[in-house]
Amino acid sequence: MTGSGIDMADPDVVVVGAGGDAPALAWRLGQQGIDVLMLEAGPFHGNEQFPNPHDDRGNAASAATGDLSGDLLDQQFTAREGDMGSPVDGKLRWGPADAERAPWARTVPQTGVISQVAGVGGTTLHYYGNHPRAFVPAIDDQPHWPIDYADLVPYYQHLESVHPVKPAPTTPKAELFFEGARRSGYDLTTGLNVDDEGYRPFPNAIHQPDEALARDGDYDGDFRDIDGDTLACHEHQGGPHPRGAEFEDRAKRGSLVSLVPKALDTGHVEIRPNAFATQVLTRAGPGPLEACGVAYRDTWTGRTRRIFADCVVLAAGCIETPRLWLNSGLPDDGWVGRGLTTHHFDFVSGVFDSETLEDIIGQRKVEPHQGQAAGSRLDVPGKGGIAVNTFAPGITASVMFSESVNGFAFENDTSGEPWDTEGRITGTKLKEQMSDYRRMLTLICHTDDRPRQDNGVSLDANTEDEHGPVARLDWSPHPEDDERRLDLARRSAKLLDEAGATHIHRAAAAPIFLHLQSSMAIGKVLDAGGEALSVDRLFVADHSALANGVGGANPTHTGQALALRTAEHLAERYFDGVADPIPADQTPASADD
Amino acid sequence: MSYTRGTIAALVDAVVPATPEAGDDVGAAGALDIDLDETVETAFNELQEAPEGPIRSLGYETMPFAPLLALLLDFGALELILAREREEPLQSPGERFAGGPFSRLAPEDRMRAIRLLEADGLFPALDERYDAPIGIVAYLMQGALFITTMAAYSDWGDDAEEPQGWQQANYPGPADGYAVHMGYEVDEFEENDYGTASTDGGDEA
Repeated sequence: MTGSGIDMADPDVVVVGAGGDAPALAWRLGQQGIDVLMLEAGPFHGNEQFPNPHDDRGNAASAATGDLSGDLLDQQFTAREGDMGSPVDGKLRWGPADAERAPWARTVPQTGVISQVAGVGGTTLHYYGNHPRAFVPAIDDQPHWPIDYADLVPYYQHLESVHPVKPAPTTPKAELFFEGARRSGYDLTTGLNVDDEGYRPFPNAIHQPDEALARDGDYDGDFRDIDGDTLACHEHQGGPHPRGAEFEDRAKRGSLVSLVPKALDTGHVEIRPNAFATQVLTRAGPGPLEACGVAYRDTWTGRTRRIFADCVVLAAGCIETPRLWLNSGLPDDGWVGRGLTTHHFDFVSGVFDSETLEDIIGQRKVEPHQGQAAGSRLDVPGKGGIAVNTFAPGITASVMFSESVNGFAFENDTSGEPWDTEGRITGTKLKEQMSDYRRMLTLICHTDDRPRQDNGVSLDANTEDEHGPVARLDWSPHPEDDERRLDLARRSAKLLDEAGATHIHRAAAAPIFLHLQSSMAIGKVLDAGGEALSVDRLFVADHSALANGVGGANPTHTGQALALRTAEHLAERYFDGVADPIPADQTPASADD
Repeated sequence: MSYTRGTIAALVDAVVPATPEAGDDVGAAGALDIDLDETVETAFNELQEAPEGPIRSLGYETMPFAPLLALLLDFGALELILAREREEPLQSPGERFAGGPFSRLAPEDRMRAIRLLEADGLFPALDERYDAPIGIVAYLMQGALFITTMAAYSDWGDDAEEPQGWQQANYPGPADGYAVHMGYEVDEFEENDYGTASTDGGDEA
């Protein structure tokens, strides 16, 4: 390993991005003795090489778990929603680590909001730890995937054991949701492999809470003397709890605290933050074209460097991976950046009166700010999923009431609909809704939107930053996607109504580009092993490699599973193979082929 | 008060107005009481770095989106007035508002102006006709409401220990944890068969 200040001298593999998925790949490669250098555009939080990551550059790279610091994480992750999550100047944003600078540019010529995070751990820094597997029919019945669901199962099992992934605990807001689901006629789902509708606790990569945190117990309320989740509901703000714990023992298993330490621990992985890749380097190979390295720019110093390696892996996310590809002049057969899916979100909320709540959950408020942010869900394969999705007030107000494709509630007639109001709410009505925050349950709908060539990422040739022409994002739902979303919104409203909500609101949300998938899909741009069809030694290992939106299930689990699998294919094709293949001793319960 | 600040003031005041007449539960203070016009102006001017080219050569390090936002709001207001889609009388601008047409619209008409800008008006019509990213106008309008609302109800718009928006939502702020564990609906998920739609359900694992 190299020391800080210089890059790993001669990495075997250079990886662009150290977000949600790439650390899984790096860990797997490192286990095979393959030297991996990861280039991450954003900051590295909780690391002693970068003690003030938003004020000073710090050192150049980190290659040891000894650099990881729980104390620094506690200082940096304040859990205040604007300080952490403002997309303009929050610590978790798409932009350079330097707080004095603005976010990086994208061109979005339509209604929409992009919600991505630059930094080690990527968007899992503010994800909710949700790790459901893909819906089985989304892999096996939709035409997009060149591999079977059975191929993913061993990798799912592996991740479920290492994060680990467990059923979320029941909390009052989850019980309210469950009761609404039961009264709506849904059955409880207990299996990991979902091909039928039903409700269940979320399979979450969050350590389960200490039994001492029983609602009806007598916990003294210190929260620094327990292990596991403290039920503080700060997933979106970085989720650093429990405070005071070792770095690797933080409850929410975002890639930063779960997979990055494992990758570093192999002794073969080095992570360089503040390094924005600007070009994939290629040379003529025995086949068509061959990747041989990456050029990158230091976001603090502006210095550019080139790194050469035997293989290159792109894991910069669904927007930047295709941008980098296109800015590198790599071949495009029409699917590079295209086929983007984004789960066509909707949001439906219900407000409850205190007597109803007392009856169902034994307390007079929902208390959305207590318990895991998303701990209960309803699966509707073929349509998508519905989940409890709770936030602090700022995000609640913005996603529920400020963004809609159906205008403003004051001009929308909702007679005949299962909701009382629809569209944006402003003015006194907004203040009234927000004054009911603690008696409100907010649900998110994740639509099974399908890949279409019209949707995705291209270059905005007229807008160039220091990294080249910026990405332009165009996405609009197909009428069939709208139909599926409407079905989910109606199911959400019925569930809330059955639970006794007195006022139901539908956002009819405008696009929020948070779950992003399939813009560099295997079967289209990549082969079934994750390697580019048109460039040898070039792999993709982020959500862009997914062949579709996995049915509307949260995509992180499948993205990481595929990254593990791609690592093994890379090791087999270009190195000495895999000493301990993950599928070896694990047998899926059954498969239909 | 600049033109930009004053026009944005009319925006944030329409989204989160002061409501002295509302009940105690709601809270009387509005966005202008925490100077959200300044927060939104700053946010828009720091929304993204200026690209290489003419904007940067004029000395801007970031895109000057706030004056553009103000201009667009007035454009939308003018269109609303000319198209006779205004539903309430014009009013004298609020004390902190600028003097343009957006500042003279009633609060809901200000929202109607925004709707023209992003969905029903001239800009969306131009977007249909020309091969240029005119839809950026819709993106900025969405951003204006998203930022205003998120900032109004968080520490983004009010960095006091207990921001106004948190108080109005009765949110106590970040806590180290909550004792709200009620057991498990499912103790462990099972590695069930797949490939055929399951017919059972309801049994706890």
